[in-house]
Amino acid sequence: MSLVLAADYRVPDFDHWWAAIAGDLARLPGLGAHIVVVYRSLQDANRVFVTIGVRERGPVDALLRSPVMFSWFDSAGVDEIPPMFVGQVAEKLNLDPGTLEARPAVTGTGSPAAVIVGAIAHVGQLDRLRASIHAAVPRLAASGVRRFWIYRALDDQAEVMVLQEIATERQAEQWIHHPDAAASFMAEAGVGAYPTLFVGRLVQTIKLPVT
Amino acid sequence: MYICLCLGVTTTTVQQAIDAGARSTKQVEKACEAGSVCGRCRHTIRTMIVAAGPDPPSSKPDRLRRRWGRT
Repeated sequence: MSLVLAADYRVPDFDHWWAAIAGDLARLPGLGAHIVVVYRSLQDANRVFVTIGVRERGPVDALLRSPVMFSWFDSAGVDEIPPMFVGQVAEKLNLDPGTLEARPAVTGTGSPAAVIVGAIAHVGQLDRLRASIHAAVPRLAASGVRRFWIYRALDDQAEVMVLQEIATERQAEQWIHHPDAAASFMAEAGVGAYPTLFVGRLVQTIKLPVT
Repeated sequence: MYICLCLGVTTTTVQQAIDAGARSTKQVEKACEAGSVCGRCRHTIRTMIVAAGPDPPSSKPDRLRRRWGRT
């Protein structure tokens, strides 16, 4: 099963980093990476949320300490290495506002106008979170949530990364300030080592050549 | 989450060191080796220490249970 690595961090200069990213991307297949998704914060132009899909090839420790991984941060000018989420997909739901039902997600990255709200948090029991999300699907869809993707951390069964795609910026703002009870995990973002809630837009989904 | 990429040290392990009384990056390093290679994760470790507060957490169990969801 594929692993997902994710990190939320600031680059010194987004435009400079983005213009030079091709060299970094060329090295990533050496890790087994097959896809990179870059989101940019709406509130801080130099804050990014990056997910890297990796075909599992060996121990996670070896993957993380790879020179390729450090080079990714070095070339971006990032001195302080951010905490890295490493996990696997637990559930991907597309919420269809027409039927107010959840269906398994298909591939794709959604509308470019949509807002991504990312949270990494300690949720206690994942099964309970999933059940509450399923029960709240009509309310989530009515609030503008279009996709709800949950990833389970490898190192902590109670830790998740949740990416929510919300139709508009206005709805995202409303959702963040008045979340449904099923999304109470958002309040746990920003605690301790966990990054604060990320609110941004997709920059690009980059498929990498298979090696 | 993985805090120290060099050694694969996780949030849980660093938090355990802090819960046991570590209140500096040096003390965390001594307890679990996080930050002992390249040192570029010390900022995150410092953030966790600050979040834990100045006192040994064992004296404030209720606050920590709320923060980390532990019983």
